[in-house]
Amino acid sequence: MKQQNLAINELREAVLRMPADRLSATRTAAIASLKQNGLPTLRHEDWKYTDLRPAIEISNQWLAAGANNTASDTVADAIATITSSLDANWLLITNGVIDTSHFDRGASIEIARFSDTSAPPLADKPLADLNAALLNDGLKIHVHAATEKPLGLLIIDAADTGASVSQVNIEIKIAAGCDAELIEYQASLGTQDSYCNSIISMQVEESAHVSYVRIQDRRIGHTQTARQSISMGAASDLNMASYDLGGGLIRNDLDIDLNAPHANVVFNGLYLAGDGQHIDNHSRVDHRVGPASSSQEYRGILNGRCRCVWNGKAIVHKGADGTDANQSNHNLLLSDHAEIDAKPELEIYADEVKCSHGTTVGQLDETSLFYLRTRGLDRRQAKQILTHAFAADLVGRTPIDMTRDTITALVGARLAVLIQEELL
Amino acid sequence: MLEIKNLKVRIGDTEILRGLSLSVKAGEVHAIMGPNGSGKSTLAQVVAGHEDYVVTAGDVTYMGNNLLELDPEIRAREGIFLGFQYPVEIAGVNNAYLLKAAVNAKRLHQGLGEIDAFEFLKVAREKMATLGMDPKFLNRGVNEGFSGGEKKRNEVLQMAMLEPRLAILDETDSGLDIDALKAVAQGVNALRSPERAIVLVTHYQRLLDYIEPDHVHVLSEGRIVRSGDKSLAHELEEKGYDWLREVANA
Amino acid sequence: MSSENIESIVNRRYEHGFITDIESHGLPPGLDESVVRAISTLKKEPQFMLEWRLQAYRQWREMTEPTWAHVHYPPIDFEGISYYSAPKSDADKPQSLDEVDPKLLETYDKLGIPLHERARLAGVAVDAVFDSVSVATTFKAKLSEAGVIFCSFSEAVREHPELVQKYLGSVVPRRDNFYAALNAAVFSDGSFVYIPKGVRCPMELSTYFRINAANTGQFERTLIIADEGSHVSYLEGCTAPMRDENQLHAAVVELVALEGAEIKYSTVQNWYPGDENGVGGIYNFVTKRGDCRGDNSKISWTQVETGSAITWKYPSCLLRGNNSVGEFYSVAVANNMQQADTGTKMIHIGANTSSTIVSKGISAGHAQNAYRGLVKVMPQAHGARNHTQCDSLLIGKNCGAHTFPYMEIKNPSAKIEHEATTSKISADQLFYCRQRGISEEDAVNMIVNGFCKEVFKELPMEFAVEAQALLNVSLEGAVG
Repeated sequence: MKQQNLAINELREAVLRMPADRLSATRTAAIASLKQNGLPTLRHEDWKYTDLRPAIEISNQWLAAGANNTASDTVADAIATITSSLDANWLLITNGVIDTSHFDRGASIEIARFSDTSAPPLADKPLADLNAALLNDGLKIHVHAATEKPLGLLIIDAADTGASVSQVNIEIKIAAGCDAELIEYQASLGTQDSYCNSIISMQVEESAHVSYVRIQDRRIGHTQTARQSISMGAASDLNMASYDLGGGLIRNDLDIDLNAPHANVVFNGLYLAGDGQHIDNHSRVDHRVGPASSSQEYRGILNGRCRCVWNGKAIVHKGADGTDANQSNHNLLLSDHAEIDAKPELEIYADEVKCSHGTTVGQLDETSLFYLRTRGLDRRQAKQILTHAFAADLVGRTPIDMTRDTITALVGARLAVLIQEELL
Repeated sequence: MLEIKNLKVRIGDTEILRGLSLSVKAGEVHAIMGPNGSGKSTLAQVVAGHEDYVVTAGDVTYMGNNLLELDPEIRAREGIFLGFQYPVEIAGVNNAYLLKAAVNAKRLHQGLGEIDAFEFLKVAREKMATLGMDPKFLNRGVNEGFSGGEKKRNEVLQMAMLEPRLAILDETDSGLDIDALKAVAQGVNALRSPERAIVLVTHYQRLLDYIEPDHVHVLSEGRIVRSGDKSLAHELEEKGYDWLREVANA
Repeated sequence: MSSENIESIVNRRYEHGFITDIESHGLPPGLDESVVRAISTLKKEPQFMLEWRLQAYRQWREMTEPTWAHVHYPPIDFEGISYYSAPKSDADKPQSLDEVDPKLLETYDKLGIPLHERARLAGVAVDAVFDSVSVATTFKAKLSEAGVIFCSFSEAVREHPELVQKYLGSVVPRRDNFYAALNAAVFSDGSFVYIPKGVRCPMELSTYFRINAANTGQFERTLIIADEGSHVSYLEGCTAPMRDENQLHAAVVELVALEGAEIKYSTVQNWYPGDENGVGGIYNFVTKRGDCRGDNSKISWTQVETGSAITWKYPSCLLRGNNSVGEFYSVAVANNMQQADTGTKMIHIGANTSSTIVSKGISAGHAQNAYRGLVKVMPQAHGARNHTQCDSLLIGKNCGAHTFPYMEIKNPSAKIEHEATTSKISADQLFYCRQRGISEEDAVNMIVNGFCKEVFKELPMEFAVEAQALLNVSLEGAVG
């Protein structure tokens, strides 16, 4: 298997065509880093199940074609549909370009562009250099106080007139003691290739409480790599739920750092995959100080020819006494051609800890199926009910009430398509 | 209504029913009693159509048709209801949703339209009230986190909603306190009618104080070894099941 | 390389006629083709064996040491290791225990293994390996009556070349991994077992391994073949005397279970782990793999790992036959500066295969203990079942317990369950026990033995007792 390399020269030329601004120096550093380190390959332990070559191929084609993103008018319809379904205060990033026209500037949220302030230093994470090299502009968001509506981040890519490659970088700070609700919605449209590489970093300050909903509903076949780095302050809370419904090659990295005592993190996820999809959820929780707790449950439903990866890692550093870390992952495999690779990891260097993980892979429970049949439901109907039920539990865990109906509808619609193929 | 002739059933390599015959007519209440392991629950599961139980000999006819050919859901739609000894918990499936889906499956089978949602809720709430069930159970997962008594009441609720022709209640009395037992008995008695048959599978005579059977059968080692009226149940209560072994071996 | 060239290298290196000159038949440190040839010559091996070794050696040269394990150690100087040593009494091997060098027996006694007594009382046939050559084999007659072949690997190569040629490397290929390739090139000796069709081996088979000579790599190779419908239980136990320099051990164990056959392989490993500062101790890089080649076959691994400075070991099962069963029961203790990275691989290939993994890791002192496991269900492995239970117990603040399970599931009918927990011996538990009059040491032993119970019950009786005692010794001073 030959590793295809990113076309560095074309990339450098594309960067040179970008306007000189406060991001320029980081772009130059990023190119050097890319040239030296390249992108992760299957030989990297964290990437052993996910091959980035499709992302590289799309990027190279896009660079060769002049590195232009042109969105058609149809994107406006898509934006309208999403923003009207969820009543949030929306910030848009369309094909990598920040659009604040839907955003209602109030006293509680402050926003600034990297180009008007400064670009963050280059992060030492895979794909951060690709992001920094081609980043058009990034956003800094400071949430000072509780907001009436959730803050919405709509990251949308249109690839209808040509291939699209976009970089997104958002830095969020949630002020001490603040209650914040955030919705991140990643979507895409168009029949051409699309690749979006996003980085969202969030600093949750002392005693802040954050509810975070992540919806990924990209067009089947489109590519996304998304990294979220979250740092938790003392006695802060994060309750997060993510829903992966669409996309082709999807790789999500969630890094959570518990740096101060009494932080509490709950994150749950649901992934639904059908033909041609590859959905990879990696998470890493660093318990650096205790007492603190982290808990995650991810569930997957796989049908058709697809592959999903779940890798949850909890690291309890020396001295992080009072850590309570829990991971669980459950998968429903419905097709002969679906594959799940699951890897729950614990690295523990302290002894006052409670850590556990559980993973299951299986099918619908035969006893439940029989029970439903004795109540007059046929096998197919019973299977549908139980499959929906498997997902419903996760839908119910959205931390933002007003998103529940939308998520229920999106999950229901995706599942209906996913399991319409013969289940019996 | 239900005719069982010389039924032999095994699960895995173990033969559990060894030539059981039973005839149940409309309007009758039968009690099937017997010690643990005698095959009572197997009989209930076989009539409901559980696929792990293999029928090796005998016939079961229901309403004049061969029951053994039918899938479990068809049997249910034809009016057979099994109240499970251990009702399964199904997290994430709303109780009301299941109830409505089951009612509609039966109605469609009968050529009727789907039940009106408002009508459904009204009927369900009424039935729950008579069973002493909190209406909030409708919005919980099926049997999820229910106590033993709540599960059994939920079974009776489903039965009341589905209005079966033949109801088989497998150890519905086990694990119930006296109030729950009365509520369950009341629910069952409310269903008694000339068109309907009820089969009570039970280990103890206690339930029969509240639901009076027309016929009592004693099952031992996979066969009915004695049949009689309700006085047989009292006899069992006094003598226990040990004397049966002699009868069975004789 | 032409044969003349090889010849000239051999001659250059050993121009003084190494076989007779080297005292105790040991080879000087270093590894090249001539060393491989010399080992083969010393053992009077047939040509096929030499060819096999040479190919392995050439493959090994192309390979690099694995670095993925969660262990750290200074680089190993493969040129500083002697690849063959033998005790002096090799020339005329004792035919019975009476003929065994009394000094050797004394060493066994010091290690707490009264060999002859154990052999007589427990009815165990013992193929004791001192350094690299077999010195005592008993109960041969009884075994040969049943048609069982139980002998040293060297003997098997000479006496049963057809069996060796058929099965050697068929489970662990020469180039499977760096250490397996090294072993294939230079393996010194080990055990060979063949159980004929339908035979239930009349006794438990046992081997005791020792590492004694300084700077000697120990490269054991064990091959067990259970023919159709046969059954065998094999016990392996090891201790090593105190030593300051690290010693490399890279063994290979291959098990083949044909249709309906069952192999139970039990290990108690308590090689020298180094002192409390991490000085000395064995590097234990082992490749153990069983192949359930026939339908309805079963391979069960049970291990109690308390020794070695570094353990790198994953006894695995290839579940090829339909309805085949793989089991892995493990207790791994790491105290002081020990590092263990151990676990298993269960590869489900046939239909209705099932596997069970129970892993109990205990970390104390400054030790690092990792479970690493793979459960893989191939697309054709319909109806595969796995249950994994993976528990860690921490004693003290400075140790680490890690879990790296991999699950790769490619068949929708698979039922896979994995659970892992981490717990510690708490001050409350200890205080409670002490308040009831139990010493802290006893309380720890009690809790640890309870934690490991599920695995101990899989061990043959006398081994279970030894394992429990060993655990207590290994954890001496872990609390307090």
